[in-house]
Amino acid sequence: MLRYLATRLLRAALTIAMVVTFAFVVLRLSGDPAQIIMGADAPPEAVDAFRAAWGLDQPVWMQYFHYFGAILSGDLGRSMRDGRDAIVLVAERIPATLALTIPALAIKIGLGIPAGIYAALHRNSWVDRLVMVVAVAGFTVPSFVLGLILVLVFAVQLGWLPSGGQESWRHAILPVITLGLGGAAVLARFTRSAMLEVLGQPYIRTASAKGVPWRAVVTRHALPNAAIPTVTIIGFMVGSLIAGAVVVESVFSWPGVGRLLVVAVGNRDLAVVQCILLLVAATMVMANLVVDLLYGLLDPRLRAGARKAA
Amino acid sequence: MPEAPHPVAIAPPRRRVAGPPPLVVFGIVWLALMLLVAILADVLSPYAYTALDLRNRLSPPVGFGGTWLHPLGTDELGRDVLSRLIYSIRTSLLIAFGATIIGAVVGTALGFLAAHFRGLVEQAVLALVDFSASLPFLILALAVLAFFGNSTVLLVCLLGLHAWERYARIARGLALAAGMQGYAAAVRGLGASPWRIYGRHVLPNIASTLIVSMTLAFPEIILLESGLSFLGLGVQPPNTSLGSMVGYGREYLTRAPWILLAPAITIVLTTLSVSLIGDWLRDRLDPTLR
Amino acid sequence: MTALLEAAGLVRRYFTRRGLLGRVTEVRAVDGVSLRVERGRTLGLVGESGCGKSTTGRLVLGMEMPDAGEVRFDGAPMPPPGTAAWRASRARMQMVFQDPLGALDRRLPVGAQVAEPLEIHRIGTPAKRTARVEDLLRSVGLRPDHAARYPHELSGGQRQRAVLARALATSPDLLVCDEPISALDVSIQAQVMNLLVDLQERTGTAVLFISHDLRAVRQVSHRVAVMYLGRIVEKGEPDAVLHDPAHPYAQALVSAIPHPGRAGRRVVLGGDPPNPADRPSGCAFHPRCSIAVGMCTRVVPELKPRPGDGRLVACHVAQGEVAPGTGVAEVKEAA
Repeated sequence: MLRYLATRLLRAALTIAMVVTFAFVVLRLSGDPAQIIMGADAPPEAVDAFRAAWGLDQPVWMQYFHYFGAILSGDLGRSMRDGRDAIVLVAERIPATLALTIPALAIKIGLGIPAGIYAALHRNSWVDRLVMVVAVAGFTVPSFVLGLILVLVFAVQLGWLPSGGQESWRHAILPVITLGLGGAAVLARFTRSAMLEVLGQPYIRTASAKGVPWRAVVTRHALPNAAIPTVTIIGFMVGSLIAGAVVVESVFSWPGVGRLLVVAVGNRDLAVVQCILLLVAATMVMANLVVDLLYGLLDPRLRAGARKAA
Repeated sequence: MPEAPHPVAIAPPRRRVAGPPPLVVFGIVWLALMLLVAILADVLSPYAYTALDLRNRLSPPVGFGGTWLHPLGTDELGRDVLSRLIYSIRTSLLIAFGATIIGAVVGTALGFLAAHFRGLVEQAVLALVDFSASLPFLILALAVLAFFGNSTVLLVCLLGLHAWERYARIARGLALAAGMQGYAAAVRGLGASPWRIYGRHVLPNIASTLIVSMTLAFPEIILLESGLSFLGLGVQPPNTSLGSMVGYGREYLTRAPWILLAPAITIVLTTLSVSLIGDWLRDRLDPTLR
Repeated sequence: MTALLEAAGLVRRYFTRRGLLGRVTEVRAVDGVSLRVERGRTLGLVGESGCGKSTTGRLVLGMEMPDAGEVRFDGAPMPPPGTAAWRASRARMQMVFQDPLGALDRRLPVGAQVAEPLEIHRIGTPAKRTARVEDLLRSVGLRPDHAARYPHELSGGQRQRAVLARALATSPDLLVCDEPISALDVSIQAQVMNLLVDLQERTGTAVLFISHDLRAVRQVSHRVAVMYLGRIVEKGEPDAVLHDPAHPYAQALVSAIPHPGRAGRRVVLGGDPPNPADRPSGCAFHPRCSIAVGMCTRVVPELKPRPGDGRLVACHVAQGEVAPGTGVAEVKEAA
């Protein structure tokens, strides 16, 4: 188990290193980094100072070293637009994004998993068909379309909810629903197929043939086994939440990290983009580590350690 | 004059294959319609997609108060929504096709390279796979667009790479299986060159799995491109795509919802069709895939 | 006349690592194997699973490079695998695998696959190739109309015949058959073995017949070699080895063959099946040998003629170097 975790940690660190390398490579390829990070109308002396400070006149591998060091110490450059540190700019937007993504994750899990389980247990019933149809809709309707339609219906036609901005908690309702519903549908579908696969296993039949009440068969055998593949998809969910947040925040003018990213890309504000890139990578890596940890705890084959038969 | 007798093949007659279910038929019909529209865009479109009709700005579609002059209404500059929709379909489909093929070719080639050379090459490919799984693709794409600016070629290549690791995984896995004890090892033992092994044997055998993956990736690319274009970072004006139409239509959501509804519905129906077809193909061709 | 195939001192090692941070262990699949195959004759290689006989087959054909030792085919050294020279030499030697279904491409009809070696080595014209394919199919007992069938439409025995036909397409001088009949029904096994003997008589192809089934090996071979844990422990004429096995392992193998009327005297091997990653020191068989002595745990026995009848055997006791003991406890090789 310990060895399993150790290898996972190593891979996580390697992945972050790769993302940093990627940012470095892309930064170098796209032009003069000093010019880009300082901005087009920065005075030449500042650019030169930046270049010297970052050692851009040195061989590439030394620059890479410096770059890595700068990142690790938290120096990610300044935003072009308002000159503040990129990392500060991004950090102050994080709470807003969390305010959307955490409830949305709750919706995804709280709605998706039970729906999937129920659909699997009552296969071919109307609930099952409903779940499948909604799941397909969740997959094919992009989040911006869903968001706009919700706005159209609830904000424009019915006037119940506001359509944008962040003034009150009521402003969060539509964005959270938009973000959560699509993922809930996909999660429901996945949970359903994981449950169906487990339910089709011989040991389920054996358990119920032994006389164990169906309810106990489900809670003690089917669910724990179906939980294992479902846990692995949570890492994927986090990724799609982040991507979804980018779009949803733009649809609802919600001032979070996603919206900042879109604006920064439009302005080619590379320091901010780079900062967000690293933040997202770190989040994904941590989410995957948590998933790996959960997986290691849940799957008894990993828990017992790699004790092979002699 | 009697012909020479045909040699009778002693093989069982092929079973009749069940036809596709009605939903899939709908999907096929819709997709065919979209393809037709894309190919015949110049002929079908009543106006050029940049043509302005300032006297008829923001006119609603037929049935909601509009005229047959502009069956789906016009936007804020008087441009005909139907025409823009037709050209948008062509743009979006072109980009999606191009990207899908690029992804499949690059992914399969890398997968084959990893399987054939093993060792360092394989580790490098696997590390790349790890890397692309470490970031949601939208973020990666946005970052690249930020650094390199926007161009259609870059967009297509970028979108193409969004699912490359799927093809790489399939190609590598199946090539390894074939190579270890299977037909690829046998043909190598016959003295075949690697080109022959991969081209004539491995590729046809994995083609159906790859094609199913492609049909599943295709709608994702359409959604990605729409999303990027909606955010203003994908297809740039004067070109128009389904996503960018929705993006522009958003400002007139209250006054003229038809501007964004038409492309939005098209996006949904198209991705739905391809997904249905892909699912059906997968069930038919490769029950081992999940 | 030099033998068609000569292999001397072949060694093949694999390195396995337990997990990312585990120790690296060396697995010696083949540990000093030498053998010869004469033109038009069959050498049988027999041993249990994991003894390295399949690896030997691959080394002999040059599909893998040995870590030590040399393979010479028709007097010339074997080219390294993957080179153009190696590919060209495939026309003269072929391998027949255990699983005929896996060895055939399920998307192509059998006839196209039998013709493939002719295409690869550019033998004949397309018209002549079709005729040759028909001839080949007939020679293995199939009908020409089988050429249009797909592998999954044939029975197991028919598939193996098709694989044989493909292997013989270029009229090779050497055929290496790695467990060619293990996947077949018993009644079909006999047919395929007879077919092999027939083909050899007709075409003069030499055969290296690898199997764990001593009876099958005896039926088709002119000489037999017994392998244990990567080494050859006994070599000789099939009848001699079968009726008077010299090595204790060969004795156990022979006694395991059910024979009506043979009373008792079944040698049951104790201990666990060998693990090539964890070799016993000295003679690899000593943990399971009922007549081992102390010397057997220290000195690896050489394969040499024993005094008396000159039978090649690798055993200290059989060579008369020590008196037979009563077995010893296992001593592992130092890591």
